[in-house]
Amino acid sequence: MTGLVTVLGSGAMSNDIAGIADIDAMLVIGSNTTETHPVIGLRMLQAAKKHGTQIIVADPRRIKLADQARLWLSQKPGTDAALINGLCHVIIRDNLVDQDFVKERTENFEVFAKAVVECTPEWAEKITGVPAADIEKAAKIYGSAERAAIYYTMGITQHTSGTDNVKCLANLALMTGNLGKPGTGLNPLRGQNNVQGASDMACAPVFLPGYQRVDNDEARLRFEKLWGGPLPAKPGLAATEMTQAMIDGSIDAMWIMGENPVMSDPNSNHARKAFESVKFLVVQDIFLSETAELADVVLPAAAYAEKEGTFTNTERRVQRVRQALLPPKGACDDLSIIQAISDRMDPDREITWASDFQPGSDRMDVSKAEEVFNEVASVWPAIAGINYKRLEGDGIQWPCPAEDHPGTPVLFENGFPRGLATFTPVTWRAPEELTDDEYPFILTTGRVLYQYHTGTMTRRSQVLENADRGPVVEMNPEDAERLKIKDGEQVNVASRRGTITLPVFVTDRISPGVTFIPFHYREAAANLLTNDALDPDCKIPEAKVCAVKVEKKE
Amino acid sequence: MKITINGMEIIAQESITILEAAKQAGIYIPTLCHVRGKNADNPCGLCVVEVEGSETPVRSCDTNVQEGMCISTDSEAMKKLRSERLAILAETHFGDCKAPCNLTCPGQINVQGYIAHVAKGQYEEALRLVMERNPFPFSVGRVCPRFCETKCRRVLVEEPIAINHLKRFVADWCMANKIDLRIPKDLATGKKVAVIGGGPAGLTGAYFLSRKGHEVTVYEAAPKLGGMLRYGFPEFKIPKAVLDYEINTLLQLGIIVQTGQKWGVDYTLQDLKDSGFDAILIAIGNPVDKLLEIPGGSLSGVMGSSEFLKKITTGEDADYGKRAVVLGGNNIAVESARALVRSGVDEVTIIYPRPKEEMPAHERNVKDAESEGVKFLDMASPVEIGAVDSGLDIELIRMELGEPDKRGKRNPVEISGSNMHLQVDTVVYSMGKMASKDGFAGGSLEECLELTPAGNIKSNPRNFLTNLEGIYAAGDATSGPRSVIQAVVGARRSAENIHVQIMGVEKEAGEGRFNFSRGKSFNDVVPETFTGISSAHRGQMPERQPESSILDFEEVKLGFNEEMARKEAERCLSCGCTAFDRCDLKRLSIDNDINLNKTGMGKKPLYEKDASHPAITVDLNKCIFCQRCMNSCAYDALELSASGFDEKGRAEGISLLFNGKCVSCGKCVDNCSTGALNKKEQIVPMVNEVIEEVRTTCPYCGTGCQLELKVKGNTLMEVTANPDQLPNYGDLCVKGRFGHSFLSHPDRLTTPLVRRQKGGDLEPVSWNEALDFVVDKFRDVLADKGPDALAGLSSARCTTEENYVFQKFFRLQIGTNNIDHCARY
Repeated sequence: MTGLVTVLGSGAMSNDIAGIADIDAMLVIGSNTTETHPVIGLRMLQAAKKHGTQIIVADPRRIKLADQARLWLSQKPGTDAALINGLCHVIIRDNLVDQDFVKERTENFEVFAKAVVECTPEWAEKITGVPAADIEKAAKIYGSAERAAIYYTMGITQHTSGTDNVKCLANLALMTGNLGKPGTGLNPLRGQNNVQGASDMACAPVFLPGYQRVDNDEARLRFEKLWGGPLPAKPGLAATEMTQAMIDGSIDAMWIMGENPVMSDPNSNHARKAFESVKFLVVQDIFLSETAELADVVLPAAAYAEKEGTFTNTERRVQRVRQALLPPKGACDDLSIIQAISDRMDPDREITWASDFQPGSDRMDVSKAEEVFNEVASVWPAIAGINYKRLEGDGIQWPCPAEDHPGTPVLFENGFPRGLATFTPVTWRAPEELTDDEYPFILTTGRVLYQYHTGTMTRRSQVLENADRGPVVEMNPEDAERLKIKDGEQVNVASRRGTITLPVFVTDRISPGVTFIPFHYREAAANLLTNDALDPDCKIPEAKVCAVKVEKKE
Repeated sequence: MKITINGMEIIAQESITILEAAKQAGIYIPTLCHVRGKNADNPCGLCVVEVEGSETPVRSCDTNVQEGMCISTDSEAMKKLRSERLAILAETHFGDCKAPCNLTCPGQINVQGYIAHVAKGQYEEALRLVMERNPFPFSVGRVCPRFCETKCRRVLVEEPIAINHLKRFVADWCMANKIDLRIPKDLATGKKVAVIGGGPAGLTGAYFLSRKGHEVTVYEAAPKLGGMLRYGFPEFKIPKAVLDYEINTLLQLGIIVQTGQKWGVDYTLQDLKDSGFDAILIAIGNPVDKLLEIPGGSLSGVMGSSEFLKKITTGEDADYGKRAVVLGGNNIAVESARALVRSGVDEVTIIYPRPKEEMPAHERNVKDAESEGVKFLDMASPVEIGAVDSGLDIELIRMELGEPDKRGKRNPVEISGSNMHLQVDTVVYSMGKMASKDGFAGGSLEECLELTPAGNIKSNPRNFLTNLEGIYAAGDATSGPRSVIQAVVGARRSAENIHVQIMGVEKEAGEGRFNFSRGKSFNDVVPETFTGISSAHRGQMPERQPESSILDFEEVKLGFNEEMARKEAERCLSCGCTAFDRCDLKRLSIDNDINLNKTGMGKKPLYEKDASHPAITVDLNKCIFCQRCMNSCAYDALELSASGFDEKGRAEGISLLFNGKCVSCGKCVDNCSTGALNKKEQIVPMVNEVIEEVRTTCPYCGTGCQLELKVKGNTLMEVTANPDQLPNYGDLCVKGRFGHSFLSHPDRLTTPLVRRQKGGDLEPVSWNEALDFVVDKFRDVLADKGPDALAGLSSARCTTEENYVFQKFFRLQIGTNNIDHCARY
């Protein structure tokens, strides 16, 4: 997101889901779409079948989408920037640049062009392992398509070079004029139901709602006026930095709503230590998660089907969440919990709050959520035209500045928020942790279709558990043969940070030298192994690459 | 282009089919096989329409519209064609729409449904389901005659399911676990209803009227509510503590109660009318015993069963002597005899004029009484009772069965000269009961209230109105003595009618009788229907031994424990179709007046059920080969084939396989036109209760698929998606369609927990305590180290509103920007 905001002025998926049907060429990089976003993955497959969309998959694994793709580029984990720079090089060399677009709507192209002069396909092949000829082919497909789109997820961002990777992709889209038109775009797929909404609302240390920086005096003054009180100007700590701050004692109280960082954070032993050392930990969740087990106070929350509100999906579509069930008796919707604590913290409101807080018997009052939404609409112009009544229909894609505005399926049609979009020269940097004799395998992590995140919900849904094969480490047959490990055998996978034991799944869908473990499973938690080194700009950890060794379990 | 459908001119798009054009114009053409964009290889033939100028009907699914086309979709000829086609399909469709237990229950309770909930360990849901139709699960679970069990098909394997024990189990379990059922109630209507009588019928009426949002006042003459349940059933049948709990559950709806108010004495019908009640429901039951019309029938020591049982149930001190007889063969007589045994009477004899086997009392009750030492003297009838020094002398005459009458019934006749005498201390008679002997008094309305010859209140069986406007009657007061469940049913239906009348709304259509069945009687069910089912005997209800149970009035039947209940519920053969609510074959058959008695139905199973798929079960006996499953699959994962077709065009030798491309998204199930495909977890058929459909947004990935949650009570029954709704247009992944059972997982947190000291345990506390604890700690840290020593981590799974309020709290109230969420990158 930080990368996108820097170069374009907005950090969200630029195009819409419906537009997938008309895309001519598509680069899907670092996204196992059919498993992580199955319905979007399905639209991609349908586009290939019906529209003839040429799909280029760039992924260390031959993911299912690759079976329907025109081209599969198997870059080594952590070499995305080199691959993309290689593509950019070919596009410039072969005159596939959209000169008009570059001239009218961007800046800094020359500097960028100079920076990729050296990035020949042969150079990129050496780093990425992708044959130069395939890089040429991919550049040609993407660069010469009328409408070409880029889709990516955490495979691009969860690296120490995550921000750079995104900037590289932006360069690629900008130089070919593939922004601001239907069927094109730079499209980060949001991995969770309301990442977009949480980001929009600035549950982030440097922003106020609507992506206005906290250290921008004008923006902050506006919010001080709206909210009626002084606001801090100093950017806060990112989640990953909070971990260290809890260990060194600069954070004493932590309130977590609906997250399970002990499982989801890379290097989870380190994360666990942080949550064990913090003086006071409040966790609000629907289950006693691994993190909640460490808490000093656990507050039982309502699940999605038990409350009112909105989620904003990956294509910026604000959609209603409606209450279908009462929460279990004693559990409470998060909004009421936050408001109860907020009321009690406010010395002036002692009279107004209910001293007898007993949630759970009645349905949640819609107007409670609606009131908050209306406040958001009044502070953030991009949704000023949205209200609950309008959301009874199809949901509305922001920006939607006025009540008669239909919403915006495609961003940047009439320009970029920052004026001209900017090209950024990016020099490829290797991942923080490299393989060596002791830890000879690259480990990359991700999701599977049947599970979600740390499994608190999916692992308690019987059908999903029945259908899922459970934790495995994927390994290429060549590697397995060399290590004399048979499919299904238990192995120990160890990194510098931890060891887990799980069965091996031998598959030629993964390249030699690379292993893959889904991170959903408590009994074989991949994040015990992963690296918590951070991207210097946005502080994202490098969950997607680390070095491991694999040994047969004795 | 312009076309005309059924005389209506519409503008249609170019090159679309007649079916699509009609759909866009809101005109419904029936089809069983069509899925968007695809037609079956073997069309169902239902979508036929007439097109002017075309000699034969055309299929609207594969005929494109043409300028000026004049189409007729619902002519008699088309209807006939459809009916013929449906009749052909019906002939071989093999399955049960509703389970026999459900069909037999007078309360129309979703029996299979609550058994399925028990099998899944969802006891609260099971009880809620029962209480959608029966507010007395505790009582009925103890005294029901169990009509359902008599039709249970499990008897064809070995023994019927112990259904009623399961009902009692879920009720008792919820009581033991202090479950607050939070029974939903509609918004207040402003209407007031008075109910006369606080027994099972009156309280049932009050319960259903309250749920509809009416203000209900119950008038009860006795000091406590419950009627016959309290004053007619001794403690060993229905413990008072259980009854009190049951009634309190109902009263939580806000029913107003006036006890100790005797109708005709403390108030009249006119009084009620004058105080603004919009309707009155009379549900006084049968408080009057039919008298024992023999000489000596009113001597001291001779009493009606109502009087006797009232003494027993109110604990009145009385000496019934050493020997007693009970006259009559009904259940009340048997309960009276068992109560006498427990009241210090040494010898209790039930006297009945016909053979013992013909006693109307349930065989189970007779057996219980017998094991407790009650004697039976059948083929005997009382002649006279006289007072003697030792007590009472009752003269009996023996009977024999006479010649069959016109209906073939043999009535008992006296054997002359067979008179005999018994010396007893107490005589209790149970000759039947009624609402009133000589009509009602108190006011002019009371006097006008019309009675039946049997002394009950005459009410219209369709709308439960008495002869007086706005005054209804239900339960035993209208029918004479019946089972509790029958009183409940009458009162429920009367409440529905009262609601309709006072609100001026349409009466909901009753359920039709249309029902596919694998065999209406046990004899009709072919043996191979249940091959492969391994034998599992009916669970035995734990009970006290008669030697000790007769020493007190404590409950005799102890109830199933959880393990027994689960095991018993798992025996259920799940006869009824879980596609009941969505089956297009059934819906179209009803719409087209298919008479299954004429067409016949499939008689035997041709395919084995297949449960090998992780999310889906397949029963090809219900398959009509519409191919919608295959045609709706976006992954080419279904391989459906038939070995051939019979002379009427029906598929034979059907085979359905899920290949390796299957991602378990379940769209095929939602598209199945019958119950051939079913969701493994959706084992509770949605038969006759209200289903609420709530559209919401999927909680998993960021695609934002729109879900339709089907909810009954507080239970999520299944999740589907609307094919016309963006962004997913009916598509969902396996998580979206099947990943929701975590909502009701027993691990859900339901109470705040606090760890008072580091290293200590998390202990449950009240919300107030937890919130105060949090606020105190936050304040301490704030005072100690300032705002930047606090931090918040919010969630991409919470709503936008929650995230907004969360960050605002940290920024404005705490004063820090230490706020993040884990997936913002």
